Amino acid sequence: MQLVLNTYGSYLHKIEDCFEIKTDQQKQQISVNKIESILITTGVIFSSDAIELAIKHNIDIVFLDNFGNPYARIWQPKLGSTTLIRRRQLELAETDAGLNLVIEWEQQKLEHQIQFLEELSRHRENKAAQITDHIQALRSARERLGQLQGTIEQKRSEIMGLEGSASRSYFAALAELIPPRFKFQGRSRQPAKDEFNAMLNYCYGILYSQVEKACIIAGLDPFVGFLHTDNYNKKSLVFDLIEPYRIIGDKTVFYMFSKRQVKKEYFDPIKNGIMLNKEGKKALITAFNERMETTVRHRGRNIKLKDIIQFDCHHLANSLIKQHDQRT
Amino acid sequence: MLVWVIYDIIKTKTRTKVAKACLSAGIYRVQKSVFLGELNLNQIDQLSLKIERLIDLEKDSVYIFPLCRDDFKKVKLLGQAFDKKMVTDEIRTKFF
Repeated sequence: MQLVLNTYGSYLHKIEDCFEIKTDQQKQQISVNKIESILITTGVIFSSDAIELAIKHNIDIVFLDNFGNPYARIWQPKLGSTTLIRRRQLELAETDAGLNLVIEWEQQKLEHQIQFLEELSRHRENKAAQITDHIQALRSARERLGQLQGTIEQKRSEIMGLEGSASRSYFAALAELIPPRFKFQGRSRQPAKDEFNAMLNYCYGILYSQVEKACIIAGLDPFVGFLHTDNYNKKSLVFDLIEPYRIIGDKTVFYMFSKRQVKKEYFDPIKNGIMLNKEGKKALITAFNERMETTVRHRGRNIKLKDIIQFDCHHLANSLIKQHDQRT
Repeated sequence: MLVWVIYDIIKTKTRTKVAKACLSAGIYRVQKSVFLGELNLNQIDQLSLKIERLIDLEKDSVYIFPLCRDDFKKVKLLGQAFDKKMVTDEIRTKFF
């Protein structure tokens, strides 16, 4: 279970081996055995004992701002696994194997997007014609990615260009398919200009924090990226690795709209845009966590979506070391 | 598996400690002397040992009943009911 502190002024502290949470309305104790993670989405108060209890049981505490951007995490300071993995990350970025990794991640994203649009248009015959062109654009982007050779540095701008145009096609298609009442005009952030983008940004924010956690545990350095690189304090690898998982956010958000689970009351207007409020966050986080419980087939085994990210990060870290062992 | 812990304990102090042990283990109070929740075999053993050390074997009684999912679905709750989803760990997200 994920614990979400979504009420301003909530108080989290420790009693024996339980967290106790107090709000104006309620008070409850929950065993650490039942908690996987803690998400803080507004201003709350908590004790150092609660932090210690969480860390002792490998429960991370993540802080999201009003737009869903994770701005802090409380986690143990130990380096996960071996430093060799980080060394290999640095080496790999310079080689054609690094380019192949990046292409693989981008192609996975495109594949997910293509399948999603195909699935959606199958149930919306009257829109199929417009969507087909967008799907074709994604297919050709996927194929052109597959033809790239060389190093990341040589091909970076070409990859970014392909990614950008594919993204515009993808979101244009989704805008076509979403219920007319919530029609949007492409991607927007900081702040979102419409309901779709407000919700999608928030979902991506949660995913960023989950990818980062998986990196840390697997021993990967979140700051050493391949395609996204070396900006001061930028978690570059997180932006690389998240690509195949964005579809989780896309589906969560889109289906909430198509199933009429989104209300105008979930949003508050702000300067230049729109923001999810407390009720909106609750509805979205609930739907997101439900989707994460879905079991899918992945690398030859049945696995829950929420465990795939960690599984893939371990797989990547292991492959980095394995290549090194074979070399020596 | 689902576990019911049902007790009759003479001393208030002991009763409080047993209740805390149940809470810490992760099962939920559904009546004054009844706890219910999802535990694995290891956790059941640990909880049993802890309770056994706390109680007076001559005077107190504590019953730990395992219950499979299918049978739990047939459980009837009359009057004041508890949250079935909560005790069976079906709640993914808890908001405050």
